[in-house]
Amino acid sequence: MKLEGGKIPANQLVFLIIGFIYGTVVIINPGRAAGNDAWLAFIVSMLVGLCFAAIYVILAQRFQTKNLLEINDLVFGPYLGKLISLVYLWYFFHLGAIVLRNFGDFLAGIIFPETPISVFLITMVLICASAVRNGIEVIGRTSIILTIITTIILVLTSLLSIPLMDFNNLLPILQTTKLKEFLTTVLISATFPFGETVVFLMIFSTVNNPKKLKLTTLIAFLFGGGLLLIQAIRNIAVLGTLMDIYTYPSYTAVRAVNIFEVITRIEILVVINFLTMGFIKVTVLYYAVSLGTAQLLKLKSYLPVVLPIGILMICLSLLQFESSFENSYFTYTIYPFYALPFQIFLPLLTLLVAIIRGKKGVPG
Amino acid sequence: MFNYLAKKFNLVRLLRKQSTQNANGKKQSGLKISPHLKQNLETLKKTFKESNDFVIREFSFGSKEEPINVALVYIEGLVAKTSINDDIMKPLMYDSSFAGFINTYQPNDIIAFIDERLLSMADSIKVSNLEEVVEGCLDGHTILLVEGETQALSISNQGWERRSISEPQGEVVVRGPREGFTETLRINTSLLRRKIHNPDLVLEMLKVGQKTRTNVCIAYIAGIADDGVVQEVKNRIEDIKTDAILESGYIEQFIEDAPFSPFATIGNSEKPDVVAAKLLEGRVAILVDGSPVVLTVPFLFIEGFQSAEDYYSRPYYSSLVRILRYMGFLFSLYGPGFFVAVVAFHQELIPDALIITISSAMEGTPFPVALEAIGMGIVFEILREAGVRLPKAVGQSVSIVGALVLGDAVVSAGFVSSTMVIVVAFTAIASFVVTSHSDAESIIRFVMTLLGSALGLFGITIGTIGILIHLSALRSFGSPYLSPLAPISWLDLKDTFLRFPLWAMITRPKTIGWNNYQRESLDLIPKPPQKKKDK
Repeated sequence: MKLEGGKIPANQLVFLIIGFIYGTVVIINPGRAAGNDAWLAFIVSMLVGLCFAAIYVILAQRFQTKNLLEINDLVFGPYLGKLISLVYLWYFFHLGAIVLRNFGDFLAGIIFPETPISVFLITMVLICASAVRNGIEVIGRTSIILTIITTIILVLTSLLSIPLMDFNNLLPILQTTKLKEFLTTVLISATFPFGETVVFLMIFSTVNNPKKLKLTTLIAFLFGGGLLLIQAIRNIAVLGTLMDIYTYPSYTAVRAVNIFEVITRIEILVVINFLTMGFIKVTVLYYAVSLGTAQLLKLKSYLPVVLPIGILMICLSLLQFESSFENSYFTYTIYPFYALPFQIFLPLLTLLVAIIRGKKGVPG
Repeated sequence: MFNYLAKKFNLVRLLRKQSTQNANGKKQSGLKISPHLKQNLETLKKTFKESNDFVIREFSFGSKEEPINVALVYIEGLVAKTSINDDIMKPLMYDSSFAGFINTYQPNDIIAFIDERLLSMADSIKVSNLEEVVEGCLDGHTILLVEGETQALSISNQGWERRSISEPQGEVVVRGPREGFTETLRINTSLLRRKIHNPDLVLEMLKVGQKTRTNVCIAYIAGIADDGVVQEVKNRIEDIKTDAILESGYIEQFIEDAPFSPFATIGNSEKPDVVAAKLLEGRVAILVDGSPVVLTVPFLFIEGFQSAEDYYSRPYYSSLVRILRYMGFLFSLYGPGFFVAVVAFHQELIPDALIITISSAMEGTPFPVALEAIGMGIVFEILREAGVRLPKAVGQSVSIVGALVLGDAVVSAGFVSSTMVIVVAFTAIASFVVTSHSDAESIIRFVMTLLGSALGLFGITIGTIGILIHLSALRSFGSPYLSPLAPISWLDLKDTFLRFPLWAMITRPKTIGWNNYQRESLDLIPKPPQKKKDK
């Protein structure tokens, strides 16, 4: 039984991971607590994230063509394996709902204050569902173009903000933040967005050249981390210490751009970035959940579960938070500890058990 | 409702039954030519239902005692009369008396004798089936039937009124060959042959259409084109079971990969040089008798932005023009939608000085901006349609009335704001830049305007992602539609946004002709002549 027949080349995986990492970070700043040292915290957390990713890649390469659920079945046996798979699926599903909610909060709160939030959630889920139904190949191809457009927009907005930048804002380094705050920021941004790449354990198996996975993931992390770094430096240099105040610093930073009174208020470009990258993030999670559910239920195709899962995702994202403040409280204080088991403990456990029990995927 | 469904079901069953009957009926034909000439002619007359353009000319030649009775059958208007007179009848009736005909005459090889010794025609084949006789007549052959023989000669001397080779109206170039395909298949294949002097250029003939029996020709270059694609094209064309193929558009709609997509997955051209270039990249061309439009597959999205002239003029300006084409395409997709979204939702994007101008122009117009955009879009499409179908002289007056009178009056009467007229007019101009995707453009433009008016730039972004998903999912005869953009292939970007110099285009497109990928040697860049060493 093969639910996904498509194969993606390694270079599409690069774009997918970049899009996934950059995803919600376009708008939400995980380095809030570190103030003007956020950029440094990003570099450290990217290294931590690379350690996470190393585990995923080793796991994926050990089991060649098997995806996360099949690995669980192999390593933990059919019953315990299914339970662990279910836990993973819940995490992907919940993460998808959180990302959706971030979307809704931002759009309904800032851009379209009079439109109900469900409009954005439903439109987004519909468009993601159409991508998911078309399979991983189409998701991969779409991500190439969207990621390139986003990179261009990010570089463009950063260049246009140069007149507003004051690089003294980056100084002093590691003076104003305490070590505890710095480490907190590292933890937050290691789990969000870098650690979230655990979902790619569902996708690594569709890459047509598994030997390239290490290099691919490294490039993607460096590039994705680079985008985050550019954005963080831009925001800090433009906004200075004010950055911590704003919920959506990128939006505010770009808003200030004013070139000869002609190019003004181009913050909508940030929104477009957010939409395209968020689309990739939601789609990858959505795809993982749909594929996983179908696999768990032993269906012949994952298409029938796509729309129901989307509807459930909308419901969860509407119900889970009372307001956008609750959402951001959750993101900064609870989420890192909630996500850690899924991102590091479970994969590490799987890897250790696999090594101890001597389980390996059959190559080819 | 159940009644309706039952009726539908019955109809389908009836059609199935009929089609199996047709298949059975077809097998019965295939009558052999009988040795009795009169009987053959009677059968043929019956087959052609006594049509008055079906001509039978009976005559005899040879000695007075044992005359050989023969008959020529052909269809008036499809054959060259002078050739029948000079090259068939004259040798038989007149020259035969000098050829020692009487002496060597033996009843069993009379057909061979005529064919080898008497007829001065280049192309003739022996047929032994009445069905082949009928088919030959319909193709414009002249058939020679002989009393007492079970074979006939099918002589190819087609000659009908044909349009001369002229410059295609739809693909005018400033620099490059002016000739275009015509409606006659043979002329079209000869035009291709004259571009590619190579025995590897393969032309395969098929007959499609149960009633029209149209000749369809598949052209490809063996060794460059992918065998799988060639086979796939053949299979798809052979599977067409329909009455009529009147134009290559019929074939296109029966074999395309994505019948529900607004985007065309099969390319077309009227210019032999364009088709030759596509063949040399590994594509397959489909020529249809009676149509000057030649189809090429696989067709990629970026081909719509390439023009023959890009390659004939030097690379710098062609690259600039190509980028402008992409911009024109984007503008014609997003122009009105973006304008509506900005005016209705994101006024802050407009510079201060401009917003005053726009708002003062909009003041007093009765309709919301979205309605204006869609209404003007519809008016433009109507004007275009009216201009295309009319004769040139009248068409000009339509454009004058439409553009000048209507455009000016609608603004001065205060129906529509002048800004909207500018946007729609420029969109219209931009939509003519990329003609290959023009039908998709018009549809998507309306969709984008609706999305922009409902959800602003959010809607437009969502719409764009939707189109991207759709485009990434499309395939044209196995090639991903968006390649070389997605899946990305760095080598092929040489001919996508920029047109690299010809000496840098070393390889063929990766998704199409990759089994024979090198098309030129590596070191072709022009260099100054090497200086002699002793100087």
